[in-house]
Amino acid sequence: MRYRVRINEQIHIVEAAPVDSSGQSVVTVGENARNVTVRIISPNQLHMVIDGAPVNLFVAPDVDGAWVWVNGRARLAQDADQVARRSSRGPGMGPSEVTPPTPASVVKVLVSEGDRIEKGQPAVVVSAMKMEITLNAPYSGVVKAVNTVVGAQVSPGQILVEIERDQEDLSNE
Amino acid sequence: MFSKILVANRGEIAVRVMRTAREMGIATVAVCSDADRDALHALTADETVFLGDSDPASSYLNIDKIIDAALKTGAQAIHPGYGFLAENPTFADRVVDAGLVFIGPPGDVMAKLGDKTTARTIMSDSHVPIIPGMTASEADPAKLASIAKEMGYPVLVKAAAGGGGKGMRIVSSPDSLAEAAATCGREALSAFGDGSIYLEKYLERPRHVEFQILADTRGNVVHLFERECSIQRRHQKIIEETPSPALNPELRAAMGEAAVAAARAAGYVNAGTVEFLLDQTGRFYFLEVNTRLQVEHPVTELTTGMDLVRRQLEIAAGLPLPFTQEQAQPRGHAIECRIYAEDPELDFMPAPGRILFARAAEGPGVRFDHGIYSGCTVPMHYDPILGKLIVWAEDRPSACARMMRALKESVILGVRTPIEFLLDILESKAFRSGDIHTWFIDEHFPGWKPDPSDDGIASLGYVFYDMVGPRPELVAAGGETDPEGSSPWRTLGAWDLAR
Repeated sequence: MRYRVRINEQIHIVEAAPVDSSGQSVVTVGENARNVTVRIISPNQLHMVIDGAPVNLFVAPDVDGAWVWVNGRARLAQDADQVARRSSRGPGMGPSEVTPPTPASVVKVLVSEGDRIEKGQPAVVVSAMKMEITLNAPYSGVVKAVNTVVGAQVSPGQILVEIERDQEDLSNE
Repeated sequence: MFSKILVANRGEIAVRVMRTAREMGIATVAVCSDADRDALHALTADETVFLGDSDPASSYLNIDKIIDAALKTGAQAIHPGYGFLAENPTFADRVVDAGLVFIGPPGDVMAKLGDKTTARTIMSDSHVPIIPGMTASEADPAKLASIAKEMGYPVLVKAAAGGGGKGMRIVSSPDSLAEAAATCGREALSAFGDGSIYLEKYLERPRHVEFQILADTRGNVVHLFERECSIQRRHQKIIEETPSPALNPELRAAMGEAAVAAARAAGYVNAGTVEFLLDQTGRFYFLEVNTRLQVEHPVTELTTGMDLVRRQLEIAAGLPLPFTQEQAQPRGHAIECRIYAEDPELDFMPAPGRILFARAAEGPGVRFDHGIYSGCTVPMHYDPILGKLIVWAEDRPSACARMMRALKESVILGVRTPIEFLLDILESKAFRSGDIHTWFIDEHFPGWKPDPSDDGIASLGYVFYDMVGPRPELVAAGGETDPEGSSPWRTLGAWDLAR
């Protein structure tokens, strides 16, 4: 079977032959062929021997992938062919919408419909786990709609303030 | 001694307090909000009282409900843990007024020390060195600006009622002072119910070194040595250790004496912590007294061999300290790593969610104080701490090696945690050298990224789990049909291993 596994925006292409009755398989990761023996230890644990080197892995399926733990490092692995590409999480990318980075409750709404808003200007303040997070305008424009109120419970992906983006701002990119 | 106590807290600290109570033959009462019905602390107690609404103000911060729960269940004393009502003098007084014992200092002492500006005055009067800054809170932006100008930037805006790094901002230029003051005031108001703020001179690259103190009701005061808490993110400690690599026996003795003097000056009773900043030249300044059990108390427990919660209960019951200053002798080295639900790649943003699988580290010298289990929910309403991994070993290098081994054994899947970030810190030359200060993370780990070298193996794990791993039980068993297709990732029901 051929898989395209996405971990932290990186795609790992893995070709795996069917696992035989003794748990052995041959896989190709990128260019390299490897001999793998795999055993299921428990619903959350795999033991693999990769080219003679043993490794314990812990796995927990999640809604859009699975968490895989190797040597103290936990990764959310996803089937790149099945899961729609999610927004990048790196610094410098900046969010493209006014949406909370984590489930939170709204502390302050700083703009109203029809307001002019500049890129980087605070639009909403939310609070999660005792921390205040200010959500800034991702671009300049006019506030088209405010979809939240103080005290509301909000989640990532929920657009709290819709902004009609300036034409010149658009053409600059 | 009490026969039943109520623990007015949640998560790992509530579980930790209940463990000692159980060892002492004391029955425990938990309180929990709607979000915490299945939380570990609620499942651990002998009795659980539901407080309702998950909002902290209507649950863990609701004095009436908590005292009512204690009275209804017949608890004789209340342990507040840390955070929530732990440093609220009104709560301490109300507990006593209700005929119960508050396991902590008296309300008036807490009030004096809880107000950072009053505390600074008390310490200054008792010749405990303090950081240059204001001794009264101030709200007027114009006055703040003129004081800041006089003191010289950078300055620190701090909440008078604050603690734990909440309601605190560094301001390096006059333009950002007013906004920082307003934000701090707002954070302080929501976290502590008091929005007053003041300014302090900001020290460059200081160490945060604190002393554990114990004081009984008969006037005995001792310290249990220091904790080095300089490794911080967002002004919150994440790695603590004892002894501090920065102290020699003379400095330790001087700071210990200052800590005891500070406790005496305030009329302190029960367990507390005197925090100091230590500058590059070895000068130390009083920072604040935390009038409660600290998150990082286990490192002191491991090196002194003492159960601090047991001491707290004994002191609250009126018993004398069972040892003298001379008899307290630390041994070896202990390190604690705090494990939060947070994303170290996203400026340690809280990451609530569900823990899908958890496995604790084990083996020699390892302790894991936590409030989690496989399948538990980490609610967004509260502090994101999941637990604390603590190790003890003969010396600092062995303790570092043991901590790395233990972190590598710790499995938490489903929410982001800083485990691998902590691993990278523990492995770094800078940490190993002991040259640490409160800007350590900003200086040595800016824009930290996870090491991808094992990602290839992780991808193999994903593939083989998909190919030969456990499958959800078949639809024929009466389950729901998965509209998304056959991927096992989409189903979180029971698993059938014996295909």
